[in-house]
Amino acid sequence: MKVVTGVVGNDIHVVANRLIDISLQSRGFEVLNLGVNTYLEEFIDAVVEIDADILLISSLNGEAEGWCRDLLFMKQKYDLSKVIFIIGGNLSVGEASTEEIIPKYKEYGFDLVFHQVDLIEGLDEIENYVKENKK
Amino acid sequence: MSLLQRDRDIIVSNEYVDHFDFAEVEEFVKNASKDLFISHKFKTHKGKTLVQPRGGFPTYEKMFALYEQFKIAGVDVLPLTIDSHTRLNDYGSAAKMLRLSEESETDMLNGYPLINHGYRTTRKMMTHFNTPISLRHGTPDARLLVDMAIASGIFEIEGGPITYLLPYSKNFPLDKAFLYWKHVEKVCAKYSTLNEPINRESFGPLTATLVPPAITIVIQICEMLLSLEEGVKSFSVSFSQSGSVNQDIVTAAVIRKAARKYANKIGCEDATINLVYHQWMGAFPRDKDFSESLINTSTFIAAMVGADKIITKTRAEAFGIPTKEDNGKAVQNVQYTLKILKGLPNVVDPEEEENLTRCVDEIFEAIFNDPADTLWRKIFNSIKKGIIDVPFSPHIINANGVITVRDKDSNIRIYEKGNLPISEKSFQFERSKLNLGNDKKNIVNEIIKDIGVML
Amino acid sequence: MLIDIGSTYFKVSTQNKISHFFRDFNKTIYDDLIYKTGDLLQKYNKDDIFICSSANGGLSTLIIGLTESFSLKYASNIAYNSGINIIESVLYQHIEDYAIPSDTIDVVIIVGAVNSVENVFDDKLLKYIKQVDYQNIVYVGSSSQNQYLSDNIDNLQLLGNIMSEKLKLQEENLKNYLTNLYQEDIMGKEDIKALYDITSNQIYSTPYIVNRSLPYIDTMLDVVDPFLVIDIGGATTDIHYSTDLVDDNILSENEYDRLVFKKLGVYKSRESLVFTAKNNEFVYELLAHLNTTENILEEYSDKATAILMQLAIFLVLYKVSHSHNKYLNIKLQTLNSMVLTGGITKVLSNNQIEDIVAFFYKKILNYTTYPKIVVDKNYAIWTIGMKQK
Repeated sequence: MKVVTGVVGNDIHVVANRLIDISLQSRGFEVLNLGVNTYLEEFIDAVVEIDADILLISSLNGEAEGWCRDLLFMKQKYDLSKVIFIIGGNLSVGEASTEEIIPKYKEYGFDLVFHQVDLIEGLDEIENYVKENKK
Repeated sequence: MSLLQRDRDIIVSNEYVDHFDFAEVEEFVKNASKDLFISHKFKTHKGKTLVQPRGGFPTYEKMFALYEQFKIAGVDVLPLTIDSHTRLNDYGSAAKMLRLSEESETDMLNGYPLINHGYRTTRKMMTHFNTPISLRHGTPDARLLVDMAIASGIFEIEGGPITYLLPYSKNFPLDKAFLYWKHVEKVCAKYSTLNEPINRESFGPLTATLVPPAITIVIQICEMLLSLEEGVKSFSVSFSQSGSVNQDIVTAAVIRKAARKYANKIGCEDATINLVYHQWMGAFPRDKDFSESLINTSTFIAAMVGADKIITKTRAEAFGIPTKEDNGKAVQNVQYTLKILKGLPNVVDPEEEENLTRCVDEIFEAIFNDPADTLWRKIFNSIKKGIIDVPFSPHIINANGVITVRDKDSNIRIYEKGNLPISEKSFQFERSKLNLGNDKKNIVNEIIKDIGVML
Repeated sequence: MLIDIGSTYFKVSTQNKISHFFRDFNKTIYDDLIYKTGDLLQKYNKDDIFICSSANGGLSTLIIGLTESFSLKYASNIAYNSGINIIESVLYQHIEDYAIPSDTIDVVIIVGAVNSVENVFDDKLLKYIKQVDYQNIVYVGSSSQNQYLSDNIDNLQLLGNIMSEKLKLQEENLKNYLTNLYQEDIMGKEDIKALYDITSNQIYSTPYIVNRSLPYIDTMLDVVDPFLVIDIGGATTDIHYSTDLVDDNILSENEYDRLVFKKLGVYKSRESLVFTAKNNEFVYELLAHLNTTENILEEYSDKATAILMQLAIFLVLYKVSHSHNKYLNIKLQTLNSMVLTGGITKVLSNNQIEDIVAFFYKKILNYTTYPKIVVDKNYAIWTIGMKQK
């Protein structure tokens, strides 16, 4: 399974990004890590060029909303129907609850949404989801 | 006119620079008090670990007040930390933020915008305190900064093309950084002929996240060689507290010997090499008393290894930029601890030293074997090939093949070596200290624990 | 003896004396060259004559790729740095919506997807290509498509993927191919082929020559990195810029990259230059500053040419500034030097050039100063480039 990952926008959270990279590799995923400070267009384009199965975007400064509204529009540019879109990290600036955040991001076009979830727990859930989807 | 001077003339004719008078600056450096030169202080204070904190505020007044606090606290070397806009050569934004900082009571910059203040103003402060000052920044292109700093009376310049780029930048072209820092070295070498030498210092901590000592040492020595070959006569190699006392002692022993060996190899026997130790650069505990304990342990280690200089932290490290009071207190505490530490044993670990030395030599052999015709290009190619690989670097050129974890004594060990050209013997030595079995999934858990080892 | 064949004139350098001659378009390049420099040519061995060319507006390419951020960007970067002047890009997914280029294309480049990806291209690519008039066609995308494309496209050259599995740039093969394009057996480039009667050395494109001179530019000119070179020609305007002036994630071997503005030439592309000028919001202030009115844009005089050249300088800086998002964003505030080269150095004075750059920096960037300007009157850049091995 091929995964494109990275941290979006003007984030410099290198450590989290690298830990996700190593984790995914240790679970047998083939990882293309675009690093920090990556733009949505680059993520989508990378998914297209390597025919990735999963796009996992990290956003750690709570400002994801600003840019990810464009996701639906981008999804129309190419045929990405078989790609699983995942976003994780710290997804809001204020005190919004997980119950509010998750549906909002699903509407933006993400299949899985993790707000302030532990890394290992999140990756376990992703692995399960992928297994389910394969069936 | 030399090419170097031609370049300097063009570089200082910048929107934000107020007529740079090279002749006057040379006169100033020639006649400057020896007390401003850290290279001189190293010589006259042999056996003492000089204490240097970190700090920088946007306005002249706050900077001045900080220095007063530091002097009262008994500081040996003053820091001048440059703000992040200036580090990216964005003097326009720095100017704006400086104005705002001066008008309101809030600091809109995380350091001192030296270019905007100018050297004439800054020099007044530096000469007033008559203490060596060290320039701390993180600038890929420091060509304007170096002339400005020296003109201001700052006679130690920290940084280098690798140590100031790989930990911080995603895509600033590394080859350009090498060339820009060559300019910095040449300028420092030139000023060094006038009075005491200008000291250069490489930034040892790098990403401060599980960096294996072999890589730290190789990078330090690379930057040292690139500096010495331009005529710099005084250079400080450095590293930060690793989290294992023994590993720090071994690193210090190896870096001292290796730095001397490689400096002599390029004909620089007359260059002075100093050792600088950074207190813990990773995540600090939120409990301030625990933080003070942590700081104390690192002071102890600095004394054990006989570091020529120690860069200090404060008890408020987990909370952002410290107040000048916190900062001053930290300096006092460190001076006290250093004062009372007597009768320190000489600890040597021959087996670890041998392994670390072997790793360093193996990596250098690969670097020197690169077919490029200049040293900087050999090093540049080595980074591209992953022969030099810094864990957790955000830079697109970094190979990201090395994975490290701690062993049971908290030593940082190489778990995956990526493209590091270390022999099977060296690699097996590292792996033999680890007990991780083949559960790769667990590796990340270990790494997370190891990163937060002081929490 | 060094010879440069441009779109408007020849440049000839012997024993450090440089002369130029306007081209006679009623003759072939070969005949024209013999007619104007025959005596000179006799004095040199074929070994000692070096020729470069950007004749007829330079080499052109059509790039068909999968995405803007990777395949198209990488191929364009390699193409510009190899000396290609005109690049048309096509996003493969929407290939049916693109018009067929009307001119003959020197080389079509097909690129996209890493090697492990299959079923990238299909019929619609073949349909489109059949309608294009091209001299050469190369494939630098996923190797899984090699068979399919070779079987269905005549004379397709397979050069290997320019992207690694990790989307890193692998430029060598395509770069070498494009650099040597004049040397390749090109049908229809009779003009150039004939020149191999005069020289036994490889003929390169002029932009490639200029590009390779840049790391040595400070040996002949007072230039400090980071710098910008602006070459305003008859057909296009070229810029070369230091890589630290842009925020880019391409890891290439170049210290300097190149970009071409095909609508900003002062002779062949005069109309499009005028059109671009009229559409710029600052054009009237600019013309007022130059003490003239927009009527000058319709004139055909020496004075009008000079004004157009000054406009071209302003417009190219504008296009790469933060005010304009379509192209590149070059950090003009950190520029240390700006070099002007090309035909413009024979028309405008240093003052005229400094004046317009100062105007730009004041108006657009709010700076009272501007980078050090060097006017390459003696084609130093070209000379350095030609003399590199």
